[in-house]
Amino acid sequence: MKKKERILQAATYLFARKGYSDTPMHELSKMTGTAEGTIFYHFKNKQGIFLAILEDLKDTILPEFEQYRKVESENTGLDMVMETISFYLYMAKSREDLFAILHQRHPYELAVSNAECRDILEAIYNCFIDIFESAIVAGQADGSIHSAIVARKSALIVFGMVDSMVRFRMNNLYDVEALYSELIESCRRMLQSEPC
Amino acid sequence: MSVITVFNALYCNEEMIVPQLVEKTGYRLVEDDEIVARASTLSDLSRDRISRAFTARTSLFNPFTHEKERSIAYLRLAMADILSQGNLVVNGFCTHFIPASVTHVLRICLVADMAYRLEKAGNLSFPEKDALKMIHKSDEDKSAWTRQLTGNADPWDSALYDIVIPTEKIGPEESVHLILRNLNTDVLVPTAASLAALDDFRLQATVQVALTREGHDVSVAVQDGAVTLTIEKNVLMLSRLEQELKEIVEKIEGVKTVTTEVGKNFHQADIYRKLDFQAPSRVLLVDDEREFVQTLSERLLLRDLGSAIAYDGESALEMVREDEPEVMILDLKMPGIDGIEVLKQVKATQPEIEVIILTGHGNETDRETCMQLGAFAYLQKPVDIDILSETMKQANEKIMRRRREGGS
Repeated sequence: MKKKERILQAATYLFARKGYSDTPMHELSKMTGTAEGTIFYHFKNKQGIFLAILEDLKDTILPEFEQYRKVESENTGLDMVMETISFYLYMAKSREDLFAILHQRHPYELAVSNAECRDILEAIYNCFIDIFESAIVAGQADGSIHSAIVARKSALIVFGMVDSMVRFRMNNLYDVEALYSELIESCRRMLQSEPC
Repeated sequence: MSVITVFNALYCNEEMIVPQLVEKTGYRLVEDDEIVARASTLSDLSRDRISRAFTARTSLFNPFTHEKERSIAYLRLAMADILSQGNLVVNGFCTHFIPASVTHVLRICLVADMAYRLEKAGNLSFPEKDALKMIHKSDEDKSAWTRQLTGNADPWDSALYDIVIPTEKIGPEESVHLILRNLNTDVLVPTAASLAALDDFRLQATVQVALTREGHDVSVAVQDGAVTLTIEKNVLMLSRLEQELKEIVEKIEGVKTVTTEVGKNFHQADIYRKLDFQAPSRVLLVDDEREFVQTLSERLLLRDLGSAIAYDGESALEMVREDEPEVMILDLKMPGIDGIEVLKQVKATQPEIEVIILTGHGNETDRETCMQLGAFAYLQKPVDIDILSETMKQANEKIMRRRREGGS
């Protein structure tokens, strides 16, 4: 592994657990066995590292989601929404560090003043929500999802519910594994065309 | 086709001037009630709920219901509908909806000084205390209204009108003559540009209603059917929001193009919070010098600091018990219960109230006594309004800090 990658990996680990502002550079230096000068050779400053992590997150996670979206499915749009929920929860678990960073306050504060950060975050969330939205639109076309539902807004609401489950688990608020099936059923009831 | 609009402070001869204008011009009188009724028909809101938009108070639940924004949007649309009839005298809050680009409107404001207004109210046999309360409430509502619609918190600012008439100096007859003389000028003949501006106003109102119905709080500008939407709320998924806004607006009849832009407040995380918490919201002024304290109250109002007034120690203590002010500005020398005694009692029963002493007679001993009794600050008359409002802000910061630390 290249030195630059190692630094990023260690920084992701530290930022995810301690938060951005509580991660001192010397700790990163100690953990990677790299002099601070070398770190600054690869990255302009601490913020540069953070942006590189976000960029990296976008470059690794989004293709997986895009890949997932392209898979041809025989299923109805409603089923696709349910699968997407499971896929999102699976990704959040397997990439825990990256999602932990997305659930911190710092990136959004940075986005207010930093256009690069803003663009990366917008691309990430657009990708997440597009998947839900296109599944809902498909469901309305095939009749599995109620036609009166506003796809754009419902996609955001379903995403909001699913994403807060990730937060539940990260902060150990509840044993969320026990909620998954109810979550999926609730979303199904919310979207489906005929009330059961 | 011309229109006269009259916006007035309470008790400024409006009850004589407005009917005379109607009689002399033969124009139809339109008041807020009619516009509210029309707005109620256009929306699913009751008249009573819509009328609440005219008060300075906003419901705690408004962030979820958006009722105020919805009411205002429908009122604007109702005003635009009615305005196109022409030959009207419009009196009341809704006059401020009409944009300056509609030039065949003569904009009148009636104001008078406080002494005159109190006297007028007295003639209607209100006790002075009640009259003052009503006047302050009305002024507060009107200030909140013009601030909301025009960004200007001074409802009597001459920039908002063609003519501002000081009715304590110019009598009702003369006021009417003055208005009629100005009405008969070429400037008020509707031009093609002015009528086009009226169409744009109507379209703007329609677009605003459509957006508000969907829960969006976006400012709308229209020029010859070209709609510009300005987004002030900081939203990360901006392109998604822009797309949604465009889809809502493009469907509306008469819209030629839609562009979105980001307002100057877009990157400020929460502009509203700053506005809300800088100044104390409940201020009590206690002073027996009536003129001084009324002027002070008005000047504070222009700085968005609303205040109640007590003229003696006894009523001050009563208001402290009933209305629980946050900050009190207190004179020392008063008949009956004096300032020091008021301070003592307030600090004994409600120590969380911050008291600012403002006196013209005090000496060094008084200052020490007051500070020992727990006064927040001790200021001498005459006081610079900037220093006083700065002191009030500091008192408010102390209150906010204590609330945060106390966890309540």
